[in-house]
Amino acid sequence: MAKVNLLQLQELRKKISGSRDMEKTCITICGGTGCHAYGCMQIAESFQAEVKKRKLQDSVDVRVTGCHGFCERGPIVVIQPDGIFYQRVKLENIEEIISETILGKKILDKLLYTDPRTGKEIITEEEVPFYKKQKRIIFENNGLIDPTDIRDYIALDGYQALGKALFDLTAEEVIQEIKASGLRGRGGGGFLTGTKWEICHQVDSDKKYIICNADEGDPGAYMDRSLLEGNPHSVIEGMIIGAYAIGADEGYIYVRMEYPLAVKNVTTAIEQARKLGLLGNSILGSEFHFDIHVFKGAGAFVSGEETSLMASIEGRRAFPRQRPPFPAESGLWGQPTNINNVETWANVPLIINRGAKWYSGIGTKKSKGTKIFSLVGKINNTGLVEVPMGISLREIIYEIGGGIKDNKKFKAVQTGGPSGGCIPAEMLDLPIDFDTLTEAGSIMGSGGMIVMDEETCMVDVARYFLQFTQEESCGKCVPCRIGTREMVDILTRITSGKGEEGDIAKLGELAETVISGSLCGLGQTSPNPVLTTLRYFRQEYEDHIKRKKCAALACKDLIVYYIEPDKCVGCLLCKKNCPVNAVSGERKEVHVIDQGLCIKCGACLDVCPPKVGAVFKYTGKKKEKILKNESTKRVGK
Amino acid sequence: MKVIIDGKTIVAEGKKTILDVARENGISIPSLCDHSQLIPFTGCRLCLVQIKGRRGYLPSCSTLVQEGMEVKTSTPRLRKLRAKILELILTEHPHACLICAEKENCDEFKSTIRKVGETTGCVLCPNNGRCQLQDVVEEIKLSKVNFPAVYRDLEIKKQDPFFDRNYNLCILCGRCVRICHEVRGLSTIAFIRRGSETVVSTALDKSLIDSNCQFCGACVDVCPTGALTEKAAKYLSLPDKKTSLICPFCSTGCVLDVNLHDGKIVSSQPSAEGAVNKGQACVRGRFTLRDVLYDSQRLTQPLIKRKGKLEEASWEEALEIVAGKLKKYSSREVAVMSSPQAFCESGYVLRKFASQVLKTANISSASCAAPYPAYQDLFRKEKIMPSLNYKVENISHSDTIFLVGSNLSQSSPIVWLKVFQAVKKGAKLIVASPEKSLYDPHTSVHLQHHPGEEGTLINYLSRLFADEDAVSHNLLSSPQEGRDAFLKRLKSLTLSELEMRTGLSKEKLQQAYDIFTQAKSISVLFGFEAVPGSVGKRNLSALWNFSLLTGAQLYPLSLESNARGIFEIERHFSSQVKCPDQWDQGMIDQQIKALFLTGPYPLPKKAKPEFLVVLDCFENETAQKADVILPAAAFAETEGVFVNMEGRVQLSERITISPGDARPDWWIIAQIAQQMGNSEFPYKKSSDIFREMRKTIPAFSHVSYPALAKGKEVFVKETKAGKKKYILQKPSIQVEEPAKKYPFQLVLHYNLDYYRGLALSNALPGFQVFRDAHRIRICPEDAEKLGLDSGDSLEVLSPYGKIKGRARISNTVNPGLASVALVNPWYHNGRCLNVLPVKIKRGKE
Repeated sequence: MAKVNLLQLQELRKKISGSRDMEKTCITICGGTGCHAYGCMQIAESFQAEVKKRKLQDSVDVRVTGCHGFCERGPIVVIQPDGIFYQRVKLENIEEIISETILGKKILDKLLYTDPRTGKEIITEEEVPFYKKQKRIIFENNGLIDPTDIRDYIALDGYQALGKALFDLTAEEVIQEIKASGLRGRGGGGFLTGTKWEICHQVDSDKKYIICNADEGDPGAYMDRSLLEGNPHSVIEGMIIGAYAIGADEGYIYVRMEYPLAVKNVTTAIEQARKLGLLGNSILGSEFHFDIHVFKGAGAFVSGEETSLMASIEGRRAFPRQRPPFPAESGLWGQPTNINNVETWANVPLIINRGAKWYSGIGTKKSKGTKIFSLVGKINNTGLVEVPMGISLREIIYEIGGGIKDNKKFKAVQTGGPSGGCIPAEMLDLPIDFDTLTEAGSIMGSGGMIVMDEETCMVDVARYFLQFTQEESCGKCVPCRIGTREMVDILTRITSGKGEEGDIAKLGELAETVISGSLCGLGQTSPNPVLTTLRYFRQEYEDHIKRKKCAALACKDLIVYYIEPDKCVGCLLCKKNCPVNAVSGERKEVHVIDQGLCIKCGACLDVCPPKVGAVFKYTGKKKEKILKNESTKRVGK
Repeated sequence: MKVIIDGKTIVAEGKKTILDVARENGISIPSLCDHSQLIPFTGCRLCLVQIKGRRGYLPSCSTLVQEGMEVKTSTPRLRKLRAKILELILTEHPHACLICAEKENCDEFKSTIRKVGETTGCVLCPNNGRCQLQDVVEEIKLSKVNFPAVYRDLEIKKQDPFFDRNYNLCILCGRCVRICHEVRGLSTIAFIRRGSETVVSTALDKSLIDSNCQFCGACVDVCPTGALTEKAAKYLSLPDKKTSLICPFCSTGCVLDVNLHDGKIVSSQPSAEGAVNKGQACVRGRFTLRDVLYDSQRLTQPLIKRKGKLEEASWEEALEIVAGKLKKYSSREVAVMSSPQAFCESGYVLRKFASQVLKTANISSASCAAPYPAYQDLFRKEKIMPSLNYKVENISHSDTIFLVGSNLSQSSPIVWLKVFQAVKKGAKLIVASPEKSLYDPHTSVHLQHHPGEEGTLINYLSRLFADEDAVSHNLLSSPQEGRDAFLKRLKSLTLSELEMRTGLSKEKLQQAYDIFTQAKSISVLFGFEAVPGSVGKRNLSALWNFSLLTGAQLYPLSLESNARGIFEIERHFSSQVKCPDQWDQGMIDQQIKALFLTGPYPLPKKAKPEFLVVLDCFENETAQKADVILPAAAFAETEGVFVNMEGRVQLSERITISPGDARPDWWIIAQIAQQMGNSEFPYKKSSDIFREMRKTIPAFSHVSYPALAKGKEVFVKETKAGKKKYILQKPSIQVEEPAKKYPFQLVLHYNLDYYRGLALSNALPGFQVFRDAHRIRICPEDAEKLGLDSGDSLEVLSPYGKIKGRARISNTVNPGLASVALVNPWYHNGRCLNVLPVKIKRGKE
């Protein structure tokens, strides 16, 4: 492929579209991270082999696409143009898919998704409830295109926005459009993107940089990964437009080394774009020059903080530094730098293509557009969801997410990654956007959403997240390095039943110190999980401290496993499975757990047949009673 | 601009931080990580302040003042926040003593109980009383720590020489890491691990010695706690007096702050007031001053050889013998050697003694390990005398630096810092040396030439300028006289020959050339290794011409603390500077019968002088052969003037008394002169001598003790002569084919780890390890061929003598090369050697 100018690009697009038979059968296999883990690449290879074996190459295409988002149900295979949606496809299904569905035009019911609420089998993707409530504009093409082939992207109007920006708009007009769209940074800060660009644009400098922050590090979050893997050109196009608006000639994509597929796909995409003249000198024949490097980060969570990320690119330890000066003034190598997150960049071509007015029509008053969440935890439909701003938590969790696993009760949802907060059931109808989440004590963050059920202990959750931030603290400033450690120590004490009067006050005080004293966002937000759980679940803290009780029965040190004598049938299962021989009792006799030996692994509870259901967890008074009885017995012996 | 801090309106100028402005105006803000020499770190968070109109709290150490800014440094909320942060710091630092209500009463016992292995409280800490954490606790008035103490239980690192590292006391302010990286250009230490496990360490947690630490001590000096402490600090008395002196080792002329207890030196630190060193020092000045002065090899009594044994004697006896014996010899039969580490006063008296009493011309200045003999040789003949004076500070302002013939980073680390500062600001560094160095990462072009070909290399560079295209280059707007002839001569050099002789391709040279043509200000730094002995004149003319061609400033580097001063005295008395080995033959032929040594001179093996006098501070091999040993007072024990390599004249004060009966050099020599019947030596104190020097030596005519004592910046007065013109030299001699007998070339480095008879690496075990002394570096390929491992005993044979040592296998040398660091210059044929053909073989274990 030779370098193209604007006109040639448009011709190329026509040519690609023209050469493609829209009616031709195409088997698309989701190549997202989740499906990868399920072995989608083997499935794709088998499809290819099967098509070849049956000599169907002329009538059937096989394509590995970006992520479809419904990871819970992977590997996902969608047969176009009819859009037949097969889920949990296995290698042994391939032959019959070809023979039955492709050749025989028959639908295989066993591979269809069944709506758990209605029990109805659903044929097409858009009919699946998981997708129904979503508004997939960024993800729109993820499932349609092969991310390693730039022609797929171009065919779907890719790089059209770039042409528009470069030839029809001035840099100021591009900024104006982004400002008018109301787009806010998707990396967590929620700063107005257009305003951020404008500041950097106005700084006078011969050299400016732009950076795409793909150092996604929140546990359980993978939307940026999915975008880079599935539709890298949308991010690259956004970056080129941004560079044009700001006046940068060099860009970096800072992506974690742990995302090998994202690195590979984005690198391929850059090479292809460069060959077509979409990157490099005189882009699309214009006067504008810009190129992008891919920088692989070594994986420290704090590298996602912008100043830290830049230090890392410069080859230094990923230490954040005090702002001001802000990157727009002095960023990478001291030059004005604009840094945005993957999802933010992916929004840019959409806004330029369809206009600020269209974009600002989606969302709430102050938060426009859609937001991708990675919906994980105790939820039926795990996956990536793209929803309009302002949708309620209830809609996401119950309608898209299909409710809580095993029909358990919803307890809280943790948003915004480890620095976010926990939102309780009372607030399920909260329309979510940047500001409502902040008001609720949490943050939008980069869009992690961890659903918790009644068996989750909120003190333990707070401890878990704080432990994470503590371990990932860069160690530079005192409040974050030592303050979070001190908080973790207190929380660990509480969850292990050694909480003391005054611990809650101490936590509050420490949180205040860490928030006001810390250098960067990591420290400043790290107490959020503690503060929100204290705000919404204070009772649990008090139970742990005063009554040594964990109502969720999650904190090992606060529970006992107990075999109810009147339920036990003496089947020996628990006795056989106990790794420490803590269970005693003969066949057909009531079994007893020796509390002194028990390590609380829960094996007895797991193996006790559901219809018997003799093993229980107890906390608080009941636990004390059991322990007391046992010790009396011992003394008696 | 006007700013309001705590309600006080303050006028501030320029780019200043809130912290600086506040402190200048008597408003104290506590801080621990901030340091005047370092870029703000904002890690300790103690200096947080509130600024009107800004969200949250901002660190005052990094926030610049702006017009109309309103700052509050001490609101109740700030005070509480600071106290909380300090509490957090103290959870990880032994703090029982810090908040002890009875800490005042401990004072009397402090100096005794410090001597424990592990520091668990201030009273046990070597840094007690100098600790900034103590100051901050005092300032914040913290009396309680509400969190449980966490002892990190990190291994105390004592395996390295000079200082220990106890990171259990570390508060992670990062000053050590930053000074090593930002100021010293090394990054030996860094933060490792994350979260609460973050600690300062070396790469892969190796020892400092294995991590290329140069032991400059900058990290120790900036450490606010006792985490980094000089090894001996626990066992030394607490100082009761502080003063300063000029470092006696090398010719940088650093000012050192010296701590004394009971009149004895306990430790030394670089002085922030030092005009050259500006608060920095190297390992010698920082860690060895005390150990050198009180070394067991110190000479404290006059000794006279009786029946083959040196026995203690009184000054009367010793002086009588020396005067009596010296009288017997004719002026040709005596030779005198001065020390380039002795003060000007002593050097002057010795020189006067040689010419007026002994009436001999056999005097060596021993400052041959400097470019001065070459200067004297070349420019006397050409009837021009360019300036030798310069300011090393200017190096840091140049945009291109060319370093040739000097092991600068080792021999003069403080001058190297100026180079590093320039590089940090974006200057390009071109280094010509046969060996790689630790600082290669800062080097733009490394011209790794064949040893001994410095002159050829410089001509090679000039040759590129002589090409047609370059003539039109504006760099050639330099002096006209002799230029055309010079360019013509250059053109007669063929590139292929230059390439063959230097071992450097034209492409490599072109890289350097391209930098030179872009340069606006070029500094050329060269040591004596670039202008050694017999080829010195020719090489210097090459350098001179190159400097005219490019408009570069020349910086001739010297080694010993007073090499320049002794040179100034010597050139007043004589037109030629002689190397000590010039009388080697005379010694062997017995033409020279009596020897009066005040500096290092390895006696030729076959030489058997009838009468050998050694006037020095330490016992050594030569001294053992002496007939009379006269113990000299060392630096710090007498006052005197040093002239550093810049030509800067500095007065070093007398701050302590001499051990035993050691006396100043000048006193001893004057006594001998008087006993020999000369009345021209009536000196009572060194200032008497200096007054005489002012009158007789024009270079010092404008200098006076009182002015120097006041710290006035004074340079040697120069009489510049002639105008700038190109100097044509005969084409260089053909290279000798390497003799089959000596297949290797040994590169010699001189680091000047020496003080008046004492080799630091012999006296201080730590120093030996640090300098890798007695190690001969060879490359892995050669080691394999010779079947050698690191640490194997080696014998290196050369036509001029042999060296023994142990092998160090290293990638810094190329095949066919070996390198070794020597304590004292090795002279041969009137030249100080920098390379010699050798044969390497396995030595006896």
